[in-house]
Amino acid sequence: MNPLQDWINKLGHLPVAPLIGYPGARLTGTTLRENLFDAGTHANSLRAIGSRWHPDILLPMMDLSVEAAALGLSVRFPDNESPTVEEHPVRDSADLDRFGAADIVADPRLQSFLSTILELADRAETPLGAYVVGPFTLTGLLMGANEAAIATIRNPDLVHAVLQFSTRVSRAYTHACVEAGADLIVILEPTAVLLSPVAFSEFSGQYVQSIASDCSAISVLHICGDTTALLDAMCETGVHGLSLDSVVDFGVAIKNVPQSIVLIGNVDPVRVMGAADPSVVTTAVRDLLKAMKGHRNFILSTGCDLPLDTPPENIDKLIHTARDPRV
Amino acid sequence: MTQAHEEQLMGIRQAVLDGDMDNIQALVSSALAEGLEPETILSGSLTPAMAIVGDDYERGERFVPEMLVAAETMKLALKILQPLLKEDGVPPAGVVVIGTIEGDLHDIGKDLVAMMLEGAGFRVINLGIDVSASTFVQAVQEHQADIIAMSALLTTTMVNMQGVIEALQEASLRDTVRIIVGGAPLSSDFAESIGADGYAADAASAVRLAKTLLGK
Repeated sequence: MNPLQDWINKLGHLPVAPLIGYPGARLTGTTLRENLFDAGTHANSLRAIGSRWHPDILLPMMDLSVEAAALGLSVRFPDNESPTVEEHPVRDSADLDRFGAADIVADPRLQSFLSTILELADRAETPLGAYVVGPFTLTGLLMGANEAAIATIRNPDLVHAVLQFSTRVSRAYTHACVEAGADLIVILEPTAVLLSPVAFSEFSGQYVQSIASDCSAISVLHICGDTTALLDAMCETGVHGLSLDSVVDFGVAIKNVPQSIVLIGNVDPVRVMGAADPSVVTTAVRDLLKAMKGHRNFILSTGCDLPLDTPPENIDKLIHTARDPRV
Repeated sequence: MTQAHEEQLMGIRQAVLDGDMDNIQALVSSALAEGLEPETILSGSLTPAMAIVGDDYERGERFVPEMLVAAETMKLALKILQPLLKEDGVPPAGVVVIGTIEGDLHDIGKDLVAMMLEGAGFRVINLGIDVSASTFVQAVQEHQADIIAMSALLTTTMVNMQGVIEALQEASLRDTVRIIVGGAPLSSDFAESIGADGYAADAASAVRLAKTLLGK
């Protein structure tokens, strides 16, 4: 039924797929900026990740600005930090008209992400993932997250208009990623963590569902932060997997999520992977494995994208501990 | 206090809790016209309303959009009250300079903290996002701030907070202000490691921390 679950069953062992993107730049001695603009550089960094760590799913570098930049919003690109969208111009639904004719898939940087998938899909033995920005998150980039949050209460019609537009954008990009060869689409919806469960269903869930149901690849929903209260609503979106952050108690979450949905996570990417000693990584992975023992709807991963300067030894340790048959 | 006054205070408090941005200013104006002191409206309506909002959020009974709308409602009330409080010579609970650290453009958490502090009677100078160390230092001097509050959402930018503390030391201002920090990737260990005076996990605890640090 669930193709992600089928894949896990066929794999025959616990899948280990940390969200490693940025650390690949350190392996190839390149800057983040170079990777986020150039498909050849990006693909090389991901190949380097594949060669060193052999994750069970190969994921690209996470960049929440791709679609917004393709729509013409101004984005800041530091050499070695995540890009940030600098302007949030939508104030009323007429403002959406300026994007009306935009063919985002023609954008050069979005094309570079598609080319990266294309380059790797040719020779991928492991499933290849792609990130697309979620509907409420893109709405937050278009309107400003603060304004979008307030408008869910003060002006819900406007939020729905922007959401419908955002969903069209996400669906178009999702199609392009799948066509390029992505096996798995991760919908990044961090801004939805601000919403109540009821508001989540109305302002994110139903639109995520529309993207997921239209997607012929495996679909995963990723939301950062504490999503414990949103879990039920997230399950209703029809995605095959939920990628959750380190603040969520997986031992509790796995009992509340139907077996037909795969939980992906959730070693702390910053405090454990980024900042702690390898011995702390071992303990964190063992604790997580213990909590998830006996559950087949689980992929061991990190709670979010790993920071650029995550010590490679910590990633070695995570992979090694997770694959150690004695654990 | 008369029963009519009590009812007016309750009405304003409820309007903040309900996020009634359309009616709050009329309620405040009529309360003032009926003889209620600006300070009484602040301490009797706005501060308790925002405390309830903060508690509700901590308990998971209120979410960020509801909190933002309540805070915006409170701000509309403050717009009327603040000039009057100044005229009356009512001292603020403290002066706070707040901003998101250099390199970081995230503002929701920082703005919530700013609004909660205002609701608790602090005078807040909100420097916005991407604030450099020198801007923080200048603002402390200019406004004779009691507290600096710094926010970061990124691991790559939170390290810049140390630079602000060093710049304060260089300007011989470190001992004149308390420094509080917050943001998703931070922790109290991090706050301690950079020499800040405290870490707050959310807006309500930031208000408590600010009061504690100033002995209020």
